[in-house]
Amino acid sequence: MRACRIVAARSSDSIEKGGDMTELILQSLYSGLLAGGAYGLMALGIALVFGTMRVINLAHGELVLLAAYISYSFESHFGWNPMATIPIALVVVCISAALTYYLVDKIKKDRELNSLMLTYGIGILLTNAMLLIWKADIHSTSFAWYHADAVFGSFYSMRSELAFFGVSIGLLVVLWWWLAHTWYGRAVRAVASNPDAAKLMGINPSRTEVISFVIAGVLATFAGVALYCTSVIQPSLGHALTIKAFVITVLAGVGSIPGVLVAALLLGVIESLTVTLLSSAMRDLVGMVLFLVVLLLMPNGLFGLARRRG
Amino acid sequence: MKTNMLKLGVLLAALYGIVPFVLGHNLYVMSLLVAAFTIGGIALAWALLGNLGGMVSFGHAAFFGVGAYSSAILTMKTGMPVFPAMLLSGLVAVVASIGMLPALKLKGPYFALAILAYAEIFRILATELPTLTGGTAGISSIPTLPTLFGFDFSSKVGTYLTIVTLVLAFIWIYKRVRASHYGIALRAMHESEDATRVVGVNSTLLKVMMLFLSAFMTGVVGAFNAHAINYLEPDYAFSGGWAIMPIVAAIFGGYRTISGPVVGALVVYLADQLVFKNLIPIGHQIVLGALLCLMILASPSGLMPLLAKVRQWRLRKSVAGDTHA
Repeated sequence: MRACRIVAARSSDSIEKGGDMTELILQSLYSGLLAGGAYGLMALGIALVFGTMRVINLAHGELVLLAAYISYSFESHFGWNPMATIPIALVVVCISAALTYYLVDKIKKDRELNSLMLTYGIGILLTNAMLLIWKADIHSTSFAWYHADAVFGSFYSMRSELAFFGVSIGLLVVLWWWLAHTWYGRAVRAVASNPDAAKLMGINPSRTEVISFVIAGVLATFAGVALYCTSVIQPSLGHALTIKAFVITVLAGVGSIPGVLVAALLLGVIESLTVTLLSSAMRDLVGMVLFLVVLLLMPNGLFGLARRRG
Repeated sequence: MKTNMLKLGVLLAALYGIVPFVLGHNLYVMSLLVAAFTIGGIALAWALLGNLGGMVSFGHAAFFGVGAYSSAILTMKTGMPVFPAMLLSGLVAVVASIGMLPALKLKGPYFALAILAYAEIFRILATELPTLTGGTAGISSIPTLPTLFGFDFSSKVGTYLTIVTLVLAFIWIYKRVRASHYGIALRAMHESEDATRVVGVNSTLLKVMMLFLSAFMTGVVGAFNAHAINYLEPDYAFSGGWAIMPIVAAIFGGYRTISGPVVGALVVYLADQLVFKNLIPIGHQIVLGALLCLMILASPSGLMPLLAKVRQWRLRKSVAGDTHA
């Protein structure tokens, strides 16, 4: 958000200096791409859990925000660099994710809808817990390094945006490798494509499900610290993050990591262009409309396998 | 039958006679009750869609907000009397729900999330259309409820009687729908939608009707609320709170029953305002979240079945104890 404002400010400067519209659009494309990296991390967390358990975790955005707040706490109390807080945030968020799994797993009847309401409840719980602990104030990192300019060719961004874009892409590659080449990664994919057959092949479904929740927690942690370093956080943000991540998952369709990444970058770019060309208030509207259009007209998403929803 | 009539009589006497007579002078308690019944009305509409229509919605704030804004605009710009405007606003909410019809073909969670997206869109539109809605500045001095036949409906007791009457009317409509052949078809649809289609029931049409009815009720409650508090802004009228509270209330009371959501709203809202808000001034909704989780885990169909289960369990235990002795 802050980045957008900085970009917008710079853009209006360049208009006054006679800079042309193309430059503006290119800059906003660039900002959007960078924002899309962290979106991809959030969305993959939701997609992984949905893949293995057919459960939409509506508390995922709150987990992302939790990581951001832990980062904030350690920075403000002990002066830690946000990057250094990642291990602690990892532990807390992964435990929270595992707990969420433990609760969701207790539901035996009508799991699709009841788990939705359960995670909705967990989301409300976490949002208000964060409100209780950290109050409603807006926070951002006070390390100047993260807010400093990073110039890449003729494009501007904050250093943190560029750094965390790199981190996101790196993580996604590692995840992709993990899913393709390790035993547990393959187990996750097997359970996602056919839980019964996977069970017959000797895969422990509940262990695989826990793993998918914990990996989602890892991704949420990095997304949360990225959010804290590149933008501002406040307790009510979690719900919006969940929706955003879910929008991307639907855009991508179920079943492909590159699809999620492309959809995340796409949403980042579209939002950024909307802010530049229309207004910042229209940003979330465009995402929602896109979500509905894809949900209603393209049930398999943009890149999903040919599989019906429901 | 006779005892039922008697119970109804006692209930009506309590709602219309005893409560206003005993508590009417206490403005704080009356405004709490008005708010609790407002939540109860939405919870009832939500539960109707969930129970009869088989659809879980996270987006009822959209109908509430549309109803509230349209009644405010109708009374202020066209000078329409308040009560007709409230009913007409229910219809405006129905019109707004037409946009959600394509979502009816989505199943379970996808419908729930699509309707959530609709609600978000309405909230942003209300903020972005300042000529119609006043934008973020909001609309103030919305007309109060009128004085009719010498009775001042804008007084606390009058406001209370209005919302109680609305909720009772909704309960009556709900009962009639459930008892009608539509209700039977809807229950059959819940068992197996395909089988119901095969015997010639237009299940899509039935779902549409339930969505419209639910939207109408929520819209009217929203309109009532606008005239009761005389002020509106987008973040208030389309607040997610209008979705959270009724869901918790309906799940708590039992959304498959008719009285459950209303009783749930009274219990949950009053407990929230009188107890939790005092204990935890900021973030007291944490209790609501915990309550929702607990209910879903312990008994998704509500408190009544849970109590019945506990009673049965105790009975079995005592029987077992007897045989051992």
